Amino acid sequence: MAEPPGSDALPSDSLSFETALERLEAIVDRLEAGELVLEEALASFEEGVQLSRRLAEQLGSAERRVERLLKEGGEVLAKPFDDEAEGS
Amino acid sequence: MAWAPRTGEPRVLRVGELVAELSALVADAVGRVWVIGEISNLRRAASGHHYFTLKDDAAQLRAVLFRADAERLAFAVEDGLEALAFGEVSIYGARGELQLVVRQLEPRGQGALRLAFEQLRVRLEHEGLFDAGRKRALPRFPRAIGVVTSTRGAAVRDVIEVTGARFPSVPLLVAEARVQGDGADLELVEALQLLAAHREVEVILLVRGGGSLEDLWPFNSEVLARAIARCPVPVVAGVGHETDVTIADWVADARAPTPSAAAALVVADRRELLARLARDRGRLRAAIAARLGRERARLAAGRDALRHTSPAARLAARRARLGRDAHRLVGAMRLRLERAATRLRAPGESMRRAPLALGRARAQLALAAGRLDSLSPLAVLGRGYAIARRAADGRIVRDPADVAPGDALAVRVAGGEIDAAVTATRARRDA
Repeated sequence: MAEPPGSDALPSDSLSFETALERLEAIVDRLEAGELVLEEALASFEEGVQLSRRLAEQLGSAERRVERLLKEGGEVLAKPFDDEAEGS
Repeated sequence: MAWAPRTGEPRVLRVGELVAELSALVADAVGRVWVIGEISNLRRAASGHHYFTLKDDAAQLRAVLFRADAERLAFAVEDGLEALAFGEVSIYGARGELQLVVRQLEPRGQGALRLAFEQLRVRLEHEGLFDAGRKRALPRFPRAIGVVTSTRGAAVRDVIEVTGARFPSVPLLVAEARVQGDGADLELVEALQLLAAHREVEVILLVRGGGSLEDLWPFNSEVLARAIARCPVPVVAGVGHETDVTIADWVADARAPTPSAAAALVVADRRELLARLARDRGRLRAAIAARLGRERARLAAGRDALRHTSPAARLAARRARLGRDAHRLVGAMRLRLERAATRLRAPGESMRRAPLALGRARAQLALAAGRLDSLSPLAVLGRGYAIARRAADGRIVRDPADVAPGDALAVRVAGGEIDAAVTATRARRDA
């Protein structure tokens, strides 16, 4: 159960959503178990709050990316998808 | 060959001639016909031609289905199949057999397509392509979602809408393919492979709207089924259908009744996630507050413990002990004194030593008393001397000047007192 505390720097943005969420919930579980040394508890709390904010930000983003993938001349291209442009 | 009327002599023909005549006769009389019967004794030659018997209760008829015609069939020809065979009757010269050259074959009791579907389903099931153990879990938060579909039609719009409502930040990559008609299955396979090769795509939706069995036929394709089974990325089939489940539905890692439902399977709902994050934050705060509370309590307990072991505390403890000991000491001393007093009052050992000491003391006393006596002024009176005192104030007279003739005197002698008066005084000459 004793993992090294947030000795690594705060998770970089390359952490996937899922990993970040799992990390957050692991932190909450550890804190609730109450077996951390005080310094570790405070560091974990800090990290937990950061993670929670970052995840909420990501969820709040309404930016969309819808693309059409096709092969043109042996290459794979991604073009913005616009189904209005599709004729029948 | 013209008929010879049955008059006169029977004709003489060679076998070949006779059989040929009969064959033509039959072809003319019956020609092309649909025949209902059961297929049996099926033999598939290496050439691809099918040789079998069509039979019923009354009779049987040899039949042949040539390769070209067999390939056009959706289903596989099997023994026991009740069929409708369309073809020409003739006599096969080499064996002198009546035969039906089958050009078209239709299963009785169910459509050709449905039969084909059943046959493929059974075959793939036996191969294990539908096994539950093969089905992969869908990623909870895919980096990107691939969509194989026609860009016409509602399916793709439904997927875009549903993912937009639930989790808009997940990218959608759409690969287009026809979803019905001949050759559509090959386009579907190509689109699937294109998406699977994309490094961001972690799950693929294979979707189309509802339709008839014929419309959905590409999704029952064996080629497509095997492509789905081989796909390195999980595939979710969302084929809208009223009653028919397609082969693609069976092989896919998950299936949904509509394109919208399929989209909902692959994205989490961010509203739920936001609520969960809020709960997590609450739990974080509560946990750290509890932790700090415990620290404070520990600290306070420590201080209390310190107070009990401080020098002042120890001193006070010692004083208390001292007081108690002193009290006990006093009590013990009193007890011993009382015992000693009790011993003194009672005659005992000490009393026997007393008389010797007493005698000595008396002797000393007598000696001291004798010496005192000789020094006493009263002993002087015994030798004849007298003490004169002025009667007025009792003062002892030593000098005749102390008195005048006529003064009263009190004279003390050994035997008592004499009252006298001064008649004359004379001073001593050698004073």
